Amino acid sequence: MSAVLTLSSITKSFGGLAVIDDVSFAIEQGSRSALIGPNGAGKTTIFNLLSGIYEVDSGRMLLDGADITDVPARDRINFGMSRSFQNIRLMPHLSTVENVMLGQHHLATSFKDIFYPLGLRPKNKWAEQARAALSEAGLDTYSGQVVSELPYGVQKRIEVVRALMSDPKLLLLDEPAAGLNAVESSELQALLEKVSTSGTTLLVVEHDMNFVRNLCQHVVVLNFGCKIFEGTPEEVGKDPQVLEAYLGGDTSNAA
Amino acid sequence: MSAYLTGLIVILCLNIIIAYSVFLPAAAGQLNLGAAGFMIIGAYMDAYLNSADDGLGLPMLLSVPAAALFTALIGFLVSFPILRTRGIYMILATFAFAEIVAGIVLNLEVVGGASGFPVSSHAELEDLLPVTIGVILFGFYLISTRFGLAMRSIHDDESVAILFGVNTRLIQVGAFTIGAFLGGLAGALYGHQFDYIEVQNWGILFSIFVLLYVLIGGTQTPWGPLIGALFFTFVPEMLRTFGEATGWELIGELRFAVFGAIIVGMMVLRPEGIMTRTFLELLFRKVPRRSPQNPPNNMEGV
Amino acid sequence: MLLAQQIINGLMLGSVYVMVAVAFTLTIGMLNFLNFTIPALFMVAAMITWAATAAGFHWLVGASLGMVVAIIASLIIERFTYRYMKAKYGDATEHALPLVSSLGFLIIFEHVVIMIWGTDPMSFNSPFANAQFVIAGLIFAIPQLISLALSVALVFALSLLLKKTQLGRALRSIAEKPDTATLMGVDVGRIVPVVFMMTGFLCALAGILFTINYKNVSPYIGDHVATNAIAGMVIGGLGNIWGAIAGGLIIGMVEVLSIHFWGAEIIKVPVWGLMLLILVFRPTGLFGHTRIGKGKF
Repeated sequence: MSAVLTLSSITKSFGGLAVIDDVSFAIEQGSRSALIGPNGAGKTTIFNLLSGIYEVDSGRMLLDGADITDVPARDRINFGMSRSFQNIRLMPHLSTVENVMLGQHHLATSFKDIFYPLGLRPKNKWAEQARAALSEAGLDTYSGQVVSELPYGVQKRIEVVRALMSDPKLLLLDEPAAGLNAVESSELQALLEKVSTSGTTLLVVEHDMNFVRNLCQHVVVLNFGCKIFEGTPEEVGKDPQVLEAYLGGDTSNAA
Repeated sequence: MSAYLTGLIVILCLNIIIAYSVFLPAAAGQLNLGAAGFMIIGAYMDAYLNSADDGLGLPMLLSVPAAALFTALIGFLVSFPILRTRGIYMILATFAFAEIVAGIVLNLEVVGGASGFPVSSHAELEDLLPVTIGVILFGFYLISTRFGLAMRSIHDDESVAILFGVNTRLIQVGAFTIGAFLGGLAGALYGHQFDYIEVQNWGILFSIFVLLYVLIGGTQTPWGPLIGALFFTFVPEMLRTFGEATGWELIGELRFAVFGAIIVGMMVLRPEGIMTRTFLELLFRKVPRRSPQNPPNNMEGV
Repeated sequence: MLLAQQIINGLMLGSVYVMVAVAFTLTIGMLNFLNFTIPALFMVAAMITWAATAAGFHWLVGASLGMVVAIIASLIIERFTYRYMKAKYGDATEHALPLVSSLGFLIIFEHVVIMIWGTDPMSFNSPFANAQFVIAGLIFAIPQLISLALSVALVFALSLLLKKTQLGRALRSIAEKPDTATLMGVDVGRIVPVVFMMTGFLCALAGILFTINYKNVSPYIGDHVATNAIAGMVIGGLGNIWGAIAGGLIIGMVEVLSIHFWGAEIIKVPVWGLMLLILVFRPTGLFGHTRIGKGKF
């Protein structure tokens, strides 16, 4: 198996304070990996560096063999990477299906695709595709509704579907299970397993260790911007450095 | 139809067109307080092209689209510096643009300077009405395309739109340029309705009112500018008629003040404008069916 | 010599813009709110000063009345604008909400004044019509000199207030992080009205001084002064009170000098051209601005 994502010696500091310090790891093609660590460890910063919101100070990032380090944020989706957000970042005034259609945006390149009246003629391939993806995720009842009115758990899953619509090789999920109840969480897990079977690589940031243990085969642990451990979820709980990081920090998140 | 009503509908049509001109950039998250600038450019360009004595003497059918296209070109060119600004800065920049246009035209002797400029050809309401309907339909069409979807995404959350590959600069320049085209169109048509144009017609208060049409109407749906223009055209007139009918003169005299109070009240009650997505859903959508296999996990429910 | 006199006139005119520009910059810097009721407050204070004097009262009575009305009006405005500025979801047009309400108030005030006093400009019999002195052939009007001194002194006092006092610290914490100011023990609901009181005070003072200096009032005087003050604020940098002083004075000079060289017709082009250039190429103004807006990531 080859690596779909390789980070080598990534460093990022804000105002002289190193938030990410010489972090390197690789994510295997088709794998389900997790990025964990106590609060403030730099997990979301890694995601923001990957998606291009921040620029790295030094180090390289390879996505499926292509160096994306200097690619502007807008173009990175074309390299096969999309993400969800820690706090829901759906477009509040768009309907569910329109939000999901935003995920297809970079695939619509021809003049006809851009100026076709999607909303006035709802039976078009883009909307059909979006509705199909929603119904696969069990969300078809919401497709016409404005997202701001929907329950939190539903919005969380719509974000995952939106990210999936861009047909990514690598899907970055920032705390997808946070705030979900047990039923929603297991529904999400089923959805992600289905996604994974179809060949998409998953990288999740997650605090819920049960979720991580059930979903992921590979775990990277960060603490204060440094990688302190990499291995399977089973090994994580036994590693003395990881235990110390969690016990020394926020114990409620402990494995 | 009475002359009064015809006059009112003419004003309504022009208000609708200029409202869509400001709405399109607003739907993409940019507030334009420079509607007056585009209208002045369109009106003067058209009057100049149309005038047989002082200009080129083109027929209306050519001069109006040409003036609108010229305004669009100006809009396109100024969109690059103006779109470097955002938020309050953009409001101020567009406002400065309109004032500069007014200042320049005021000193252009070829179009009459401060004393105004006569418009040769006259158009009837019958000519204005189809154009207005066309503009409304175009607004609905554009918003329903993927271009419109990108506009609304930028309005809601620009940084996420970028991550999904939306070329925000291109979309915003596009929306601003099309808006300029409509502004020029409104100006050109204005000239042919009132036969005389002068810069003083389009001051700061005009731009403010047009921005209010859009913000009171709502920036989320293409219904917004339509409802906003209807509201702003008819409510002051209704207040006046009401004042006359009841003999309560104060209401007639104070109608604009009452109107101002309505605006303040609207912002308290409906800060996102009259027509919001959720309101439309309430009006038009059926209650969503709940399929037995997938009961929605509504946490507040039960 | 004529040019020197024009420069002096420009500075004097600028001193009126300074106070209004400081009022604008305070609400923008503190609350990220472009307050369009400022021209209305300015105009109301000027009109009341004129009306009371014309009715036979001492001009100080009129001025105090104008001041009180403007401050109370500004407090009422606070209830209906800033309080409701929070949109449900922060989108690109969120900052426009209080702006729309403030435009509503502008319309209300202008039309109430028009209904009472009409739209015609009125002349004010200044009690200091001939108070002036001449140095080396240059005329200095005393009321204008006093307004200039007053502007600078006021802004100096304001910056001291912001730097040194408890109130100033609270105001600055709201300006920096409105969301967390509450957590830090700042009672936002009680502090924000203070900004509006200051706004009312500054606008009223500017309006009164304008009436005394230029001896002319109309329901529309606020619009001209406020738009020039906005240009001055932009030049000085949004949210920067010292910048507002410089910007207001610059705009006064640009206005007077362009009238002197090119005539009154062209006045809009240099003033607004300068402002647009600064907005586009140096949006922080000549002297920098306080940070406005919040990142979301």
